[in-house]
Amino acid sequence: MSHLGDLLSGLVDGELSGAELDRANAHLASCGVCRTEANALRRLKHELHELAGACDADEITRRLLAMAGPDGRDRRYDHAVLVPDRDQGREHGEHHRGRRVIWGTVSLVVVGIGAAAFGMGGGGSTGPQITPQVEVFDVQHAITSGDVPYTDPADRFARVPAVATTP
Amino acid sequence: MTRHSLLLTAVATVTVPGLLAVFGVIGHDQGAGQGDITAALDSAALSGPFPVAPATARAAVRNNVAAVQRASGAPLTILSRVTASQQATGLQLLDKAADAGLAVTYQGTEVSSQSGVDGSVTTISQVWHEGEGATLVRTSSAAMSATTADAATTATSAAAADAASGSPEGVFGVTKSLVALLGQHYVAVYRDSGTVAGRAAAVVELYRFDGSLAAQYWLDRQTLVPLRRELFDTSDNLISNDSFVRVQFGAQAGAQAAGAAVPSTSAQSTWVTAVSPARFLASLTGQGWPVPGTLPGGLPLHAAAWTQTANGKVAELEYSDGLYVVSLFVQQGTLAARLPGWQQVRVAGQQAFVSGQSVSWSGGGLVYTMIADVPPQTVRQVVGALPGSGPPGLLGRLERGFGRMARLVNPFS
Repeated sequence: MSHLGDLLSGLVDGELSGAELDRANAHLASCGVCRTEANALRRLKHELHELAGACDADEITRRLLAMAGPDGRDRRYDHAVLVPDRDQGREHGEHHRGRRVIWGTVSLVVVGIGAAAFGMGGGGSTGPQITPQVEVFDVQHAITSGDVPYTDPADRFARVPAVATTP
Repeated sequence: MTRHSLLLTAVATVTVPGLLAVFGVIGHDQGAGQGDITAALDSAALSGPFPVAPATARAAVRNNVAAVQRASGAPLTILSRVTASQQATGLQLLDKAADAGLAVTYQGTEVSSQSGVDGSVTTISQVWHEGEGATLVRTSSAAMSATTADAATTATSAAAADAASGSPEGVFGVTKSLVALLGQHYVAVYRDSGTVAGRAAAVVELYRFDGSLAAQYWLDRQTLVPLRRELFDTSDNLISNDSFVRVQFGAQAGAQAAGAAVPSTSAQSTWVTAVSPARFLASLTGQGWPVPGTLPGGLPLHAAAWTQTANGKVAELEYSDGLYVVSLFVQQGTLAARLPGWQQVRVAGQQAFVSGQSVSWSGGGLVYTMIADVPPQTVRQVVGALPGSGPPGLLGRLERGFGRMARLVNPFS
């Protein structure tokens, strides 16, 4: 013997009529299982109805409509529409603030590193004060170039004038 | 028959001078540098050279042609009346002159005049050299006053130390390593005969690949020791003239050399020669020292060395094409506010100090001191190509800063 199945919920909701309603009622009269299930559904429906009375029906309708969206897009998983307006605004603000914090932190790090590089890139005056050891350099140059070395800078200003050479 | 005669004449024209020159060189080898090579040199004398390419052609083009010909082993056509064997003779003479500068005992007086960025500089030096031994150099101006005696001592002791360590040295820039470089950048041709300090000399000329005269060497006909050198810039201006005004060879010179006091070498810096100059340069640039591999004027890095001083490490980079030599000394720090004896000038827009052939300036936390045997315009180009004392600009400063930060965080730097 087959049971009412999907027709049972239609019967409880009062959606059946005509021959379908007669056949469902006839079956309930003879089937204890379906009768028990129908009673359970009716109880549940009653309890839901009592709970629904505590909410604003228009609000529920509005939210249900919003789930479908004006463009027909299914927005059931859009968290923003499932929460009240006040929470939605707060979360939206927190989201943007988070982004701003991240961007601000990154900008600060970049500017900081740039400023540090700028600071470190200057200061060519770091290091010891050098007086070139030109007498040492002269000798080294003479050795590698195969020429006679010059003398020290002080001596250069006392150099003898140019001498005409014999070819 | 006429054709065969012409062929024989052409072959004889090419081979005879070359063979005579080779015989002359061999004879010089067997005679330990004392043989007379006059006959061979006279046979190899030329009336050229003449540039093949027109004067209006770009030198770079002619040089590229020459490089291709050299690489293929073909005779260079840059100088139309110079054969490959005659070029080889010129280089062989200079190569033998480098050997003679070390092997022959001599003593004499040298006068050197060079054009610097602040005018001409002339020095007079007494030179003693014992064959395969030390070279002692004393400037005559130093001998005149007690205050400069130390400088003369320094120069003398360094030359002596060099001989002991086997570092390259020669007379008037004719060293083995520099002659090897000459062959890559110039055409050497035996040209003529002359006289220097009363001694007969063979004249070898160096030509650039564009046909312009770059240098003339006078080599003693008996010993091949260089007696005189003249350097010319690309505008045919004489920029350097080094010459013996008095010279002696042999036993008498040896006795005087032995009598010359060899000063102490304790005051000298010890220079460590880099085995691979290119790798040494790379290590310097890795440390943030912006030093180039080639200087303006086509002077490639030829040798490198470094030493440790009280103020830290000093790197010496020697750039040369065999004829012109630039020694660039680089060390960390800034120039002292006062440099007694130096003249403050602007070179290529940079604030620099000049003393004779030395130019010193600082930039980017480094002090550069350049001693150059090059034309003054090349000195200006080199100074302009290296970092100077001016502000580096925003990007330059950021680049330098990031480089320093990278070196700070890099454990391997």
